[in-house]
Amino acid sequence: MALWNADTVKDVSESVGIPSLSDEVAKNLAMDVEYRLHQVLQEALKFMRHSKRTTLATTDISNALRVLDVEPLYGYESTRPLKFGEASLGQAQPIYYVEDDEVDFEKLINAPLPKVPREVTFTAHWLAIEGVQPATPMNPTPSESARQSETTPKGAPPPASTTVPTTADVSVRPLVKHILSKELQLYFDRVCSAVTDESNDALRAAALASLRNDPGLHQLLPYFVQWISEKVTHGLKHLFILSVMLQVTHALLENSNLFIEPYVAALIPPILTCLIGKRLGSGGGGDAAAYELRDLAASLLKAVCKRFGDSSHTLKPRLTRTCLKHFLDPARPYGTHYGAIMGLAAVGGREAVRVLVLPNVRLFVEGVVKGDGGSEAERVVGAVVSVLRLLEEEEVAGVKPEGEMEESMREKLVERVGETVAEEVWRVGRPGLVKAIVEPVGGL
Amino acid sequence: MASQGPPPASGGGTAAAGSPQALNQIVIEYLSKKGYSKTEAMLRVESAHTDHEGRPILSSLDDQPELKYEKSYSHLKHWIDNSLDLYKPELRRLLYPVFVHSFLELVKSGYVVPSQTFYKEHAHEHESTHGHDLKNLKALSLPQHIEDDQLAKLYRENKYRVILSKTTFTLLMHFLEETKDAGGSVILRFINQRIDIKTISGRPTMFSTAGDDEGMLGEEEGIQGHTSGHLNRGGVLPSIKLGHLPMDKELMSDVEEELREEDARMKDSTRNEELGVSTGGTLIEEFQKIKREESEDSPMRDTIPLPPYTGVDVEREVRLVKESRDKVRLAGVPAPALPSVCMYTFHNTHDGLNCVDFSEDSTLAAGGFAESYVRIFSLKGAALPSIIPAENLPSIPKTRRLIGHSGPVYGVSFSPDNKYLLSCSEDKSARLWSLDTFTGLVVYKGHDNPIWDIKFGPFGHYFATASHDHTARLWSCDHIYPLRIFAGHLNDVDTVEFHPNSAYVFTGSSDKTIRMWDIQTGNSVRLFTGHTAPVTALAVSPDGKWLASAGEDSVINMWDLASGKRLKTMRGHGKTSIYSLSFSVEGNVLVSGGADMTVRTWDVAYGTGAPTADAPEGTGGVSVGDGTTKVDGVTNGAGKIRKGGKDVVATPDHLSVFYTKKAPVYKVQFTRKNMVLAASGFLP
Repeated sequence: MALWNADTVKDVSESVGIPSLSDEVAKNLAMDVEYRLHQVLQEALKFMRHSKRTTLATTDISNALRVLDVEPLYGYESTRPLKFGEASLGQAQPIYYVEDDEVDFEKLINAPLPKVPREVTFTAHWLAIEGVQPATPMNPTPSESARQSETTPKGAPPPASTTVPTTADVSVRPLVKHILSKELQLYFDRVCSAVTDESNDALRAAALASLRNDPGLHQLLPYFVQWISEKVTHGLKHLFILSVMLQVTHALLENSNLFIEPYVAALIPPILTCLIGKRLGSGGGGDAAAYELRDLAASLLKAVCKRFGDSSHTLKPRLTRTCLKHFLDPARPYGTHYGAIMGLAAVGGREAVRVLVLPNVRLFVEGVVKGDGGSEAERVVGAVVSVLRLLEEEEVAGVKPEGEMEESMREKLVERVGETVAEEVWRVGRPGLVKAIVEPVGGL
Repeated sequence: MASQGPPPASGGGTAAAGSPQALNQIVIEYLSKKGYSKTEAMLRVESAHTDHEGRPILSSLDDQPELKYEKSYSHLKHWIDNSLDLYKPELRRLLYPVFVHSFLELVKSGYVVPSQTFYKEHAHEHESTHGHDLKNLKALSLPQHIEDDQLAKLYRENKYRVILSKTTFTLLMHFLEETKDAGGSVILRFINQRIDIKTISGRPTMFSTAGDDEGMLGEEEGIQGHTSGHLNRGGVLPSIKLGHLPMDKELMSDVEEELREEDARMKDSTRNEELGVSTGGTLIEEFQKIKREESEDSPMRDTIPLPPYTGVDVEREVRLVKESRDKVRLAGVPAPALPSVCMYTFHNTHDGLNCVDFSEDSTLAAGGFAESYVRIFSLKGAALPSIIPAENLPSIPKTRRLIGHSGPVYGVSFSPDNKYLLSCSEDKSARLWSLDTFTGLVVYKGHDNPIWDIKFGPFGHYFATASHDHTARLWSCDHIYPLRIFAGHLNDVDTVEFHPNSAYVFTGSSDKTIRMWDIQTGNSVRLFTGHTAPVTALAVSPDGKWLASAGEDSVINMWDLASGKRLKTMRGHGKTSIYSLSFSVEGNVLVSGGADMTVRTWDVAYGTGAPTADAPEGTGGVSVGDGTTKVDGVTNGAGKIRKGGKDVVATPDHLSVFYTKKAPVYKVQFTRKNMVLAASGFLP
């Protein structure tokens, strides 16, 4: 018990110039000092408690001394925590002392002013929605919670499976159950109906904006993904539905609060359907809207590849293969070819165009377009040319003057890509492009 | 350290030269010869207590004062440990006061070493229940400390109440009488002087309630404090009126009118607006449901004078009705539905944020800081303009700093109309601030020690403070002196809370008790004992019938106000302090937040014997979530999980826990729409 023993008192008395203190006095003093220390600490703890802290600070001691009508100790009012050094003298108990660095006045005065402390700010987030803790970055992960719960009592079910803690129904319940709060269900239903409502643009925009920005939707993600794929499979005839589904996909992809990666694989098929589907929309093949939809799908695909291409290394090759297959299959309708070409460009970029499209252009145009002058054929040719134009960019440095566009080049061009495309390319009138097509880098 | 006490008594003065035995023989012979038969008999009796060397045989414990307490305590303990299981829980309660008084006696008589050995030997036996007091007692070592120390005085000047059943008490008395010499007399002396044994009729029970848990105090056990005349525990409790404060008649009609207009407007607008959420009934219907009408259980309105109502009050009532209609209902079978919790995490506080309060309309938050200022935050990110034009800066700030206190701010409270803010501080003052101008209005001085907590009354105008000076005080905004001083607590008053009808104030104290005070008379009308550490948070259920309290002992107790009895104890928070409690609007869910960095929700009705929120009606009840129906009665069966083992296991009424990321939760508050607002300070 004796934290403060008579020897310490003697040491102190010697240090203040009282050489011989009787044992009895020292002992009594020591006991009293210890009691007073306890008293001060007891008061200081109250201040700590009411400051809602769990570490005692020097200010608590000063406040305690003030309450006890004792003059506070000056010089310890410190914003930085006190550091204690330890020194051992022989076999005696270690001695603790406050590490107090010497400060050079000159330095202190000339030192630049310390940084202004940052303002107190607050952030708001959902700690729980209807009793379920959403998996947002602001909330601890289940493993962190588990670690915390080691220090706090068990018995509370982990937040994800928070349900009624009754004894009877525990065994009946499946191990993992995705529980969706009523609020979220309602939200889901409302968003679904709002988005597919063709007549109310404002509502749809609001719903999409909500999908784009709301942080708490993670729970709903699998439902949305499934809903999209269902809608797409069953709504091939409705261009509106398809395009809205792509927009929803887009919105979900853009929502920075969602961890969408696991669902990418499930999101791809609907996009691909919209890109290279055989028949999209109820109108004839020449439906311009259908091509717009394919464009949208292609750009979406590009975004997906850009974001997840690195983390999933089989993603790009798989997509490229699918597109290439459709591109090279002459039996497919124009729409599919169009989509495949755009898809190839979107997924693989320039490299894919050079390696996969360019060598096949001539065959493709001859086999598929066959001089058909229909609007759909034109579109396909347009698509080919537009992806070919991707090739040009790398040649920008070597732009040659207009005069170099000779007939010989044109012949080579025709030989390389076929009459129809050559015509188009020539009409664009970019020597760099022509050169890139005629003399592809990499010697193909 | 050597023993301080006098050497073992060596009092037999009869020892003379030569063999004392022989000397005795001579004297006896002499006495019988002379015919002094009575003197002879006396000598024979007295000499029987000395051994052959003439030294007294130390049979009586009174002759070894430094050991007698230790011996008698061990004696009692041994007996209790060997008694029937049936009596043990009751008898064990007696050990603590005996321990404390033995220790204090030892210290008082100056036996330093024996007192410390005694403490070391036995303190751990009471650690779980009385750890807080033991820590303080430990420091005592000199007799003058006893005179000085509050806690020691407390124990010596007040009787410690222990409740024993009649059988147990008789057994105990019998035992003590029987073994008077072995220590019984010492214990008897304690019981007579320092302990108040209350016998209750009936047989001892195994305490089927929370009673026999280690680490729990029985109800009414402990020091009752200054038993002021009105607080007659044995007799009838003072009657209290827990009904709602009736609404002012004129205000009510005004509000009704306003609501009717609102309803008409709503009808018009919903016709045009397709997007509108379907409204659940008209406002006026809702008002009829929730309006506070006079009942026989409600306090008289004129006993609590309030300023005449204004347009702001009408507006507020209308808003309350609307919010009440739009609230999320947390009903459900078998357990209530769980609320949503919106957490406001404060950054860059460096642990300097002492307290937080949310305004009733959830637009503002106020924080009291260790750096002596209060800061107002706009929760919606809106600017906070002041009505003083000159004061406004080019850009209107989104937070405001209120500077005026000269010590750490320990409490803040918004007025119900959101126009004022109260704060209290270590500088012994409370301050009233205007939220229109963001300037100080009044300084309330009266406490002579730091003020720990401050709360506005449910209707504004009145407020209460809790202070280090062992008192709580009631003030009204327009007086700079207190209207009532609630004195009675034996230690710091740590927290204060109003009853929803504004007629009572609750205080939680470091003396581990909670008191309920009548505002009218200023008397303590209820005393709740059972916590084992200072009480840090209180909440009264919206219907005004129950009280929830939490403390440093990290348990939450639920009390019935009318009977003053504990309904149940809810365990689950870590071994740290609980900072805040709040009831849902229906009163069926309690939410708590504390230093263990969690927000927890609790089923209020569970295990209290009260019908659960929506007791299944005949048909077996509607299933929730999984489609499991719950059989009645299971609720009470699963009562106790905890058996042995040190770590705390959550009681079954613990509904859920939400962890934060390294942020102790300072405040939880249900809004009128049954959403929980929580505030925490991020500690990286």
